[in-house]
Amino acid sequence: MPLFLFLVLCMIVPDPTYGSYLKGEDSTDWSRILPESISGWQKQEDRGFNRNNLYSYIDGGAELYLSYGFRTVLSRIYLCKDQPDLILEIFDMGSSANAFGVFAHTRETVDSTFGQGSQYTEGLLLFWKNNYYISILASPETPESKQAIFSLAHEIESTIPEKGKLPRLIQCLPRTGIIEESIRYFHHYIWLNTHYYIADTNILHIDPTTEAMLARYHQAGSRSLILLVIKYAGSQQAETACRDFIAAYLPGLGQKSSLKIEDRSWIGYRLFHDLLIVGFNGESQKIIEDIIKETVSNYQNL
Amino acid sequence: MKTKIYTRREFLKNTSTAAIAGSLYFNLPVKGIAQPGSKSRVVLIRHTDILDGKNKVNTVVMKQMLDESVSVLTGQEDISKAWGQIIHPDDKVGIKTNVWDRLPVPPELESHLKKRVMECGVDAKKISINDRGLLSDPVFLNATALINTRPMRTHDWSGVGTLIKNYIMFVDKPWDYHGDSCADLASIWKLPLVKDKTRLNILVMLTPLFHGVGPHHFNPKYTWAYKGLLVGFDPVAVDATGVRIIQAQRKVFFQEERPINPPPKHIFLADTRHNLGTANPDKIELIKLGWDEGLLI
Repeated sequence: MPLFLFLVLCMIVPDPTYGSYLKGEDSTDWSRILPESISGWQKQEDRGFNRNNLYSYIDGGAELYLSYGFRTVLSRIYLCKDQPDLILEIFDMGSSANAFGVFAHTRETVDSTFGQGSQYTEGLLLFWKNNYYISILASPETPESKQAIFSLAHEIESTIPEKGKLPRLIQCLPRTGIIEESIRYFHHYIWLNTHYYIADTNILHIDPTTEAMLARYHQAGSRSLILLVIKYAGSQQAETACRDFIAAYLPGLGQKSSLKIEDRSWIGYRLFHDLLIVGFNGESQKIIEDIIKETVSNYQNL
Repeated sequence: MKTKIYTRREFLKNTSTAAIAGSLYFNLPVKGIAQPGSKSRVVLIRHTDILDGKNKVNTVVMKQMLDESVSVLTGQEDISKAWGQIIHPDDKVGIKTNVWDRLPVPPELESHLKKRVMECGVDAKKISINDRGLLSDPVFLNATALINTRPMRTHDWSGVGTLIKNYIMFVDKPWDYHGDSCADLASIWKLPLVKDKTRLNILVMLTPLFHGVGPHHFNPKYTWAYKGLLVGFDPVAVDATGVRIIQAQRKVFFQEERPINPPPKHIFLADTRHNLGTANPDKIELIKLGWDEGLLI
């Protein structure tokens, strides 16, 4: 087929995914799929937002979603007389890893009542499944609105047949002593500081090309151990980040891989190819070095 | 010149209260504060009857709180003279409020502010209360004086929503200032529409939001009836004081050190980088009035 004819045909025959991708549209038509009414609440309106206009919807909060690969959100309001409005939001995060990441950002409990993980707090249900992060809010909470939230959540999760994969990096985290609800996954250094303040600048070079995981661990003593695992785009990037981190955070470390610092806790690190592992708050040198060693071993077995 | 990096370890070395990295910025040396040689006065006023059981504002008490705080702030017992130090009859006054639907500025406060401004001799036509539409508001565009008020709340990206941040509506594209955790919000205060016009700052601490989850970062569970107002001329000092209260409430609620996250660096940088005011508690004269139960500071 002549090239010209091929190009013309490509323009005529619609590609169901390419067009949607360019516009940042969710491939699932939630407006048609979602129920018109739920437990006495009636659909009021739908609004959709993409990467270009998310700011106009949640100004000030948009960065969180954008940093997790956000593609689109459908916002629907349901109304019911003498009851709080029910606000549903379905965020297409582009990948299950990022849907998990944005959900885990504020997770405080481990609960899988809905989807692949959920959290309910006084009128607000958050859960994730596959590429989707879903929020259903009705505030102030009433018994009726709580029931409506749960019914709607059941309908939505049954509409998403497949479960998504967790970030692969999660398998590096040692299991012993882990505080499950503390696991975080992110691509922006601001979120590292949200969970554990390191520095006011990005000394670890965390950016959209990196995957970072952070988890807390039980240990003897009052404070929890913090394990940070960062996978860089390549070994070179990891080396640079490691060098800058040591220069800013662990000057004088020399050839050692762990150090006791001002608050009498131990910090340790290990650079392994494209992976940088840092342990904070260790009660002893052995605890820090053991957990880092196990993390490397887990990474090798991925 | 190489920019200094403030790491957790810097804070550990410089203070005995190591846990709260963000608030430790308060211990940084102050360069060029707003009131050289003197402290920035901040009035914290609280009243147990300002809210009823459903958090409805008591109008009478609100008026009392605002008047008393302005009197103490200015050192003028006579409320007319106190306001006379703040607003002049020939001023055009923009009252920058905040309409965020989950935690707006109470209309009772807005209306009493307007009343007091009118009593200074300003015609009602030369007073406007606005938030998101102020860039098309003739009063704001020609204002000679601004009064800045908003509730304090935690915020996903900037750490906290502050008086400093409240002026983000003075720019066309607020998201242009979102970089690096909104680090340089104070630069908005140097824009011609704003510079040197702010006469009074009121941080509403009636039911502050101290933690947030979900897309809209709000749940009543994470508010509490603090029943206070923070009032001052120096927005940085007022914000810095508010942050300390929010931080203290987080410790009470979570029963552990939970630093405001991300650290509200824009407050500290408003001091150290932009010289808008002082965030250093040693440079703040905090005057506490009224109800003292659960004061937290």
